[in-house]
Amino acid sequence: MPDDRFFEPEIETMPRASLAALQEERILELVPYVYERSTLVRRKWEEARIKPGDINSLADFTERVPFITKDDIRRFRDETGDPFGGLLCTRYADATTVFSTSGTTGDATLYGHAWGRWHPFWAATARDLWEIGVRPGDYVLGSGFKMRGPLYHADQMCGAIPLLVNTGIGGWATALDAIRRYRPVYAQLTGLAMAELDHLSRTNDMQELFSSFKGAAFAGEPLGARARAQLESWGVEVYVWTSTGDVTGAFECGQHDGCHAWEDCVLLEAVDPAGSAQVADGELGELVATSLDNLVTPMVRFRSDDIIRMTREPCGCGRTHARFWPVGRKGDETIVAGNSFVPMDIWRALEQVPQTATALFQLVRPAREIDELRVRVGYDPDTTTSVPELRDRVSEVITAAVGVPPVLELLPEPELLARGRGGKLPRVVKS
Amino acid sequence: MTVASTKAAAATLPRPRIWGIGRYDVAGQPVYVEVGWDDWRRDVAWARAMLADHGVGPGSGLVIVGGMAESPWFDPFETAARELGAPYSIGEIYAFEAFRTGMYARRLPITMIFGLDRTVAEGLGDELAEVVARVPVIVARPDAAGLLTEAGAQPVIVARVGPAIAVECPHRCGAHLNGAEWTLAERGGELFISTAGPRAHQVRQAALGLRGALADGPCGCGRTGQRVTISEGEMNP
Repeated sequence: MPDDRFFEPEIETMPRASLAALQEERILELVPYVYERSTLVRRKWEEARIKPGDINSLADFTERVPFITKDDIRRFRDETGDPFGGLLCTRYADATTVFSTSGTTGDATLYGHAWGRWHPFWAATARDLWEIGVRPGDYVLGSGFKMRGPLYHADQMCGAIPLLVNTGIGGWATALDAIRRYRPVYAQLTGLAMAELDHLSRTNDMQELFSSFKGAAFAGEPLGARARAQLESWGVEVYVWTSTGDVTGAFECGQHDGCHAWEDCVLLEAVDPAGSAQVADGELGELVATSLDNLVTPMVRFRSDDIIRMTREPCGCGRTHARFWPVGRKGDETIVAGNSFVPMDIWRALEQVPQTATALFQLVRPAREIDELRVRVGYDPDTTTSVPELRDRVSEVITAAVGVPPVLELLPEPELLARGRGGKLPRVVKS
Repeated sequence: MTVASTKAAAATLPRPRIWGIGRYDVAGQPVYVEVGWDDWRRDVAWARAMLADHGVGPGSGLVIVGGMAESPWFDPFETAARELGAPYSIGEIYAFEAFRTGMYARRLPITMIFGLDRTVAEGLGDELAEVVARVPVIVARPDAAGLLTEAGAQPVIVARVGPAIAVECPHRCGAHLNGAEWTLAERGGELFISTAGPRAHQVRQAALGLRGALADGPCGCGRTGQRVTISEGEMNP
């Protein structure tokens, strides 16, 4: 039963030993289930000469069960024509919903859930909204994209009322009217939303507008320092959230010291990005996720390509579930003319130039090692008086950040935004 | 399982006053629409009957094309699909997200696309003809009907009509309105709406900024209420 502090106190503050026991129980149920039903899992396990009977503990599972990668899923799909890439453990007709990953890094991957009144991905999010301060009777700006389903289920589970107005691309001007009228306490934001809010801040008193907010969540891509400072200047406490390999969401709590994974939903591991060994808490590792409560398309040791730092130390908020800090995507590191950099280096550089401060850009990179640094940059057409002068300035800051002069393609922001997918702009593209 | 414990926790809290709030615009002015829990439940029942008329049931597969802000109109159809045992996927209403609707239609045994609009239809580009050939029933917004007909489809129409939604039955002779909830009037080609049911959102002869024509009388499907044809597409999508 929710208390003032936690939505599910017993689960959120469960001792680590109890959490491990719960995970082991679920893993030992999952192992024979997926082996019998998931054709990709069976293929991978047969290649690794593993059978369900070999897995008798959580330690056996993390030591012996082979990983599954996005490439494994795509390859299986291409070879067999199975749209689920061998992950489906039920009939398609047994799923309630089939959604897909954003598709920003290639072909989207399908995942399904079977559910009754509440969608499981968003049900667990009710814990996070409660932590932010959403309470019965509050209004919540039901913002975001719908490709992952009815996220307003989390609002409703907290007893709050979703305010379902257009906060998609081009919609924030109308959303401000709804904020004035209903005084919501929470909204979900993305980088694309921040670009719009940045423009709207020139003609609106953002501090007054957001004064009813207890917090706002930000997801989809890293939150730039400028955007964070901007939100804070409007009085908005920002809670970064991300996903655990598309198994569940993981939100910051009020301590803002890592994103909490709900370990009764997901078994979270951090492994050597170039190998298979578990890395110690606090070290850089690749996020590996196993679904603990999805019987339709359970992920089993899924390598997400997300680079994280993780800790299992209890949080200052009192919760015991693991926390992690997203660092970037595996393979995002780029080498140009011997210089190594990550997209965030360009992000920070662009934030220094007022006309590109929303940091809407794409690194055009046909391969990880490139001879020429090509960057597509969005600029604010309302405040740009000279594109050639802007080009010089942007070139200067990127050269300073990366050590190599870029070849720039400057586009008005709306043109670049139109290349977004799933609520975010792919930052690394091949062309 | 996680959802069971979270659901149990949620059940101890007071239910929100209403299901949610949507918004539509008339002549640039916002109109907020409160949807009560009982309203939503009746909308689901009506959506369920409309989908069942089109053969939706166990074994069907749907792509529902709608944005988050359209949920007060489209969630009842999502819930109805779930209750009818038909898996569904969501296609967003942006051109750059059209690929997702096409991908679902290509990869999954989709029997109905519900809510296809012109933006997504155009965003599908050359793939539109393939989607039309694959998917037996396409329920389209009025603004996409012409494009779909050119591509070889016989689209069924779904239209947001202010706070209401109207859907054609398989006879395709005007979109049925849920007469227990709403009443339309037409004056000089413009549509006006009144609340007929015990809904949270009560309006009387409210202008919708939409041009359309009404038909009464029994339909081949057996329904007797009003049917509407939006003549110039939605002016306030």
